[in-house]
Amino acid sequence: MVAPSATLSVLNRADGSASYQCPSTGSNILGSVNAPVELPGRRDALKPEDATIEVFVKPGTAPAGVGERYVEGILKTMLGRVILGREKGYPRRGVVITLAIIGGESVGRGDPYLILLPALLHTALLALLSASVPLSMTFSATVLAVDESGQIRREPSAEDAATAQSIHVLAFSSKGHLLLNESQGSFDFDTWEKVRQRASAICHGTQLVSADGDIAMAEDVDGRPLEGTLRETVEDQVYRDYNWKINAA
Amino acid sequence: MASSAPPPALTLPPSQFARLQPHAYLLAHLSPPASSNQPSLRANGRQPAQFRPTSANTGSLTHTNGSAVVRVGDTTAVCGVRAELLPTSDIAAWSVSHASPDARKRQQSTTTTTTTTTKNDGTDADAAAEESQIQDLHLLVPNLSLSTGCAPGFVPGAPPSALAQSLSHQILGLLHSTRLVRAEDLRVWYQVPTFAGEEEMEVDADADAEGEGRKGKNDGKEIKAFWVLYIDVMIVSLAGNAFDAAWAAVLAALRDTRLPRAWWDADNEMVVCSEAVAEATRLSLRGLPVASSFCVFEADAAAGWRAVIVPDAAEEKMIEEDQRRGMQRRWVLADPDGYEEGLSQERVCLVVDKEMGKTVIVKMEKNGGWAVDGRELKQLVDIAAERWESVKQILELC
Repeated sequence: MVAPSATLSVLNRADGSASYQCPSTGSNILGSVNAPVELPGRRDALKPEDATIEVFVKPGTAPAGVGERYVEGILKTMLGRVILGREKGYPRRGVVITLAIIGGESVGRGDPYLILLPALLHTALLALLSASVPLSMTFSATVLAVDESGQIRREPSAEDAATAQSIHVLAFSSKGHLLLNESQGSFDFDTWEKVRQRASAICHGTQLVSADGDIAMAEDVDGRPLEGTLRETVEDQVYRDYNWKINAA
Repeated sequence: MASSAPPPALTLPPSQFARLQPHAYLLAHLSPPASSNQPSLRANGRQPAQFRPTSANTGSLTHTNGSAVVRVGDTTAVCGVRAELLPTSDIAAWSVSHASPDARKRQQSTTTTTTTTTKNDGTDADAAAEESQIQDLHLLVPNLSLSTGCAPGFVPGAPPSALAQSLSHQILGLLHSTRLVRAEDLRVWYQVPTFAGEEEMEVDADADAEGEGRKGKNDGKEIKAFWVLYIDVMIVSLAGNAFDAAWAAVLAALRDTRLPRAWWDADNEMVVCSEAVAEATRLSLRGLPVASSFCVFEADAAAGWRAVIVPDAAEEKMIEEDQRRGMQRRWVLADPDGYEEGLSQERVCLVVDKEMGKTVIVKMEKNGGWAVDGRELKQLVDIAAERWESVKQILELC
């Protein structure tokens, strides 16, 4: 399993930006965040004590349509709980997140955005971090497909997803809460529990709690947990940004 | 004189209190003081897991092929299904991609024999490929309209809001993923006369002709047109939970839909429909997926203005402990009305179906919070399965 790669602060004019590639699903997303910004008009419609979050998803080859509205809604609800919109300077202002899909399979009409959703979420998170928007927690997300024989496949390609029995997108917070679940296709609850377990292992690594309460991190088929990959991307960027200071010391 | 009268005591009627302090109002209903001896009910008088009374009526619109009005409490959805013919000659690249289904089938059957897979697998794959025609050719076109003045926030005549667009997309996605409508019901076949042996012209759109065609030689049988179903949903009145009502209306309308018998008139080179109502056929739908939505109401009154909300494992444990002692801190409310939707951020949407008594989840969405995890979802699936039974009864009666 090839780990996703990401670069932070790739755009100069935006407050924060990130580019994210996921090799297994073939998605390539460029995200930018501007925050806090004054939103035009309708100040009465804005929440007086909270920031307004706007998400725009732009597909690579077509104008945004109904499907994009739907994903934007998912991202907005989820990020709304993660972004601390009550911090100083944020209430009555906007957090504008723009995500452009610049590579990978295009999504047809009526197709779910599920395969792209983790990449979109990760890009948004990294761009928010790059823009130093206060967050209550970070998260990591993954997509899993279950085929007819009940086999769980991590990060399926578009063709695999088309033949899969069910597709699941799960996002976990850095504290281990289930933040988001989008499942489609026919499945029963036991299957979902297996999927949840696997997804949790992908995002956070397998945690083996021994009898004395110690938690041991184990490497398994999924390799490094996603949470660590994202964390390292940010650490690398911080190291690069403060290179002058670290080396001078 | 009015000035001599003592000023009235500052009392608020409940309706005003509900507007001024919505969160406290609902919380007071859900967790009444122990001394009052009142049961924990929602502000609308329902139990947390209780759905609103639902009614459905089909065949309300005479000019459509199928229609339904579904009312869930004060949320009302009207759905009309209009069928239009799409001649294959109008489909771009149809002749290239699909013109010779026989050839394609023959090729597929040879591949199945060469790869020594079982015949069953071959036909399954074949069926899946044929089912994808609904998706590829856009044979189902749902649209949901909220611009009817259904709620104060929705101005009539305005462009579709983001909510309306995402609901339309959800309906379309669910129609595709459940494969509710059979592609076979939407095809208009034409049997090219062979003139050699039997001169029987088989021009039929029903299933047994196709079954026979698939079993035996289906030479000379071709699709001349498709029915396209335009599924229009109008939310006439919106009081929360638009998706459940809209999906139930779509389901009821599709169950009500009758397509006229259509055949290819070779002389006029066009598809003709029969006027006889008796010849019209109903769609044979796959299953009966029923949607049920939930929202999570959190008792934390400070959540509205506290700056930092960082729940961690310790806090979660505290909430669980309180729950065991009978002090509930969060409630999962089934079928939220508009008032409750405004007070909650976390939503769960479940679509379940039952096959031979076994509950099958078709769609499970959860977003906007961290209160609902595996254990809660399992309970919700059970509630949704109960809801399935009641909705099934309602739909079968109408």
